[in-house]
Amino acid sequence: MTETSEPIDVTRAVEVIGASMVFNDGTPARVAALNDVDLVVETGDFVSLIGPSGCGKSTLLRLIANLLDPTAGDVRVNGKPAAQARLDQDYGMAFQKSGLFEWRTAAKNIELPLELKGWDKRLRAERVGEMLDLVKLPDRGSNMPWELSGGQQQRIAIARALASHPPLLLMDEPFGALDEMTREHMQSELLQICAATHTTVVFVTHSIPEAVYLSDRVVVMSAGPGRITDTIDVELGGTRNEDTREKDAFYGKITEVREALRGSEMTGEARGIEDR
Amino acid sequence: MRVGLAERALRRTALLLAALGLAAVAWEVYKAIGPEQGGDIFGWRIIPKTNDRVMPHVWEMFAEFGRPAIGSGDQQVWSVLLGYSWFTLRMAFAGLALGAAIGVGLAVLMARLRIVERGLLPYLVISQTIPLIALAPQVTVIRGTLGLPQWTSAATLAAFLSFFPITVSTLRGLQSVPKASLELMDSYAAGWWTTLVKVRFPSAVPYMIPGFKLAATASVIGVIVTEITLGGLRGVGFATIDYSQKVTSQPASVYAAVFAAAALGLIMFGLVVLSESFVMRKRSRETT
Ligand SMILES: Nc1ncnc2c1ncn2[C@@H]1O[C@H](COP(=O)(O)OP(=O)(O)OP(=O)(O)O)[C@@H](O)[C@H]1O
Ligand SMILES: [Mg+2]
Repeated sequence: MTETSEPIDVTRAVEVIGASMVFNDGTPARVAALNDVDLVVETGDFVSLIGPSGCGKSTLLRLIANLLDPTAGDVRVNGKPAAQARLDQDYGMAFQKSGLFEWRTAAKNIELPLELKGWDKRLRAERVGEMLDLVKLPDRGSNMPWELSGGQQQRIAIARALASHPPLLLMDEPFGALDEMTREHMQSELLQICAATHTTVVFVTHSIPEAVYLSDRVVVMSAGPGRITDTIDVELGGTRNEDTREKDAFYGKITEVREALRGSEMTGEARGIEDR
Repeated sequence: MRVGLAERALRRTALLLAALGLAAVAWEVYKAIGPEQGGDIFGWRIIPKTNDRVMPHVWEMFAEFGRPAIGSGDQQVWSVLLGYSWFTLRMAFAGLALGAAIGVGLAVLMARLRIVERGLLPYLVISQTIPLIALAPQVTVIRGTLGLPQWTSAATLAAFLSFFPITVSTLRGLQSVPKASLELMDSYAAGWWTTLVKVRFPSAVPYMIPGFKLAATASVIGVIVTEITLGGLRGVGFATIDYSQKVTSQPASVYAAVFAAAALGLIMFGLVVLSESFVMRKRSRETT
């Protein structure tokens, strides 16, 4: 990265500086999941992480979320140490599996982070209503998770992640388990939601078109040990909608990302990249 | 469509009655064709006698409920047994409640501290190999020095049997929470207790229910064994012993007492099943 000499900018949503992550160090099961990774995400950006399976995408996301501490280097979120950002709940998270609690209704699931923050009951109900509207499920709040389709469950999970209006959203293959149609639909909705709420997003995916369609920047990673090999700016002009998927510029970027991934494949071990 | 609660209860009761009917038929068939004085297999006397003293007719056992009870004035067997059953049921319930408190408490402690689990679990397993009969006198002595009423020893011994399945099943449940759920709670910076209450307990419930079912019947057994071992507690266990000593004059009365004990076991079990359908009413049928 270029700005090593500059002071830390408070407006930066995420700043990962020289972070390494080694699991089970000193044992035969030692894994160098990340090696000297630098990543800056500006506030309001949508950044995707893409790379072969096992290159450390989820690990990098966990470092940002402070669910793991790096074995070396530093992680800052909203200008604070990652641990402080977690305590302040500066971010929301969504995973591949919706992870909704089966004993809570959809509305109660969305309410959980607000409950933990100690919000007043009336305010909570109000916000849950807004979130249900936002994810276009206004009358499914009283349903139990198992009464919802996979896509609906995922939307509830996104609503939960956004409920306390965190400035940062961390997503690990949130649409990975959905069919192609639902997936494209959810991508457009996510873009709308993020534009409406001015949320910064760090998004892990296996799909090149998904990364290109969603992102302002695509970060390409490679394995063995996990590191960032390339960063591709995606400027597609204007607001993105379903027509964007037909544009030449869109295909151009897909090719560019694919080639960057190929380049990283030469050095790393590549599996599981979707070329759709 | 989900089957209604009433419909399910009805179906279960019908199945239970059918099973009981089948058992009664088997009993009568054996009584009709089995050897009157029993028999030997390889020199062991294991084929039961079928005479009226050992195996009274099923209808005799039921008729017994309407006969005057020996040694209880002109009271009939059913009303005497009803009184005894009420006593035993309350003991068993107290025992289950105490066992649940201890069982869940220990499970939480072990889930919290790995070291406690490693150190404590073997002792809990060993504790279950101690026969109640050996423990009962000690419990009575301790109860006496503490000045507690006599019934507390029955409840304590019932708890001694019932806490174990609750501990084991609750611990398993508390530890089986998906990693992603725990990470989610971590991302909310939720503390251990909050996570326990909001996530670990709710996801442990399906694991805890079988443990409570075992515990419910175990606590009935605990009370009955205590009544048989210690004097002065007049419940169904006492009736079983009392009637078996008078077996010559009224052989079927022992079975009447056994029926009462079985009914208590079913009632306690039924209470757990009832609470199960309440706490699980909103859960998916597939995941449970
Ligand atoms: N808790 C852990 N303990 C030990 N090793 C781990 C742990 N978490 C991840 N790893 C290892 O670190 C490496 C990176 O894992 P990570 O989950 O970050 O990959 P990923 O890029 O998200 O892969 P995928 O695309 O398959 O999800 C892998 O080799 C993995 O085995
Ligand atoms: Mg991953």
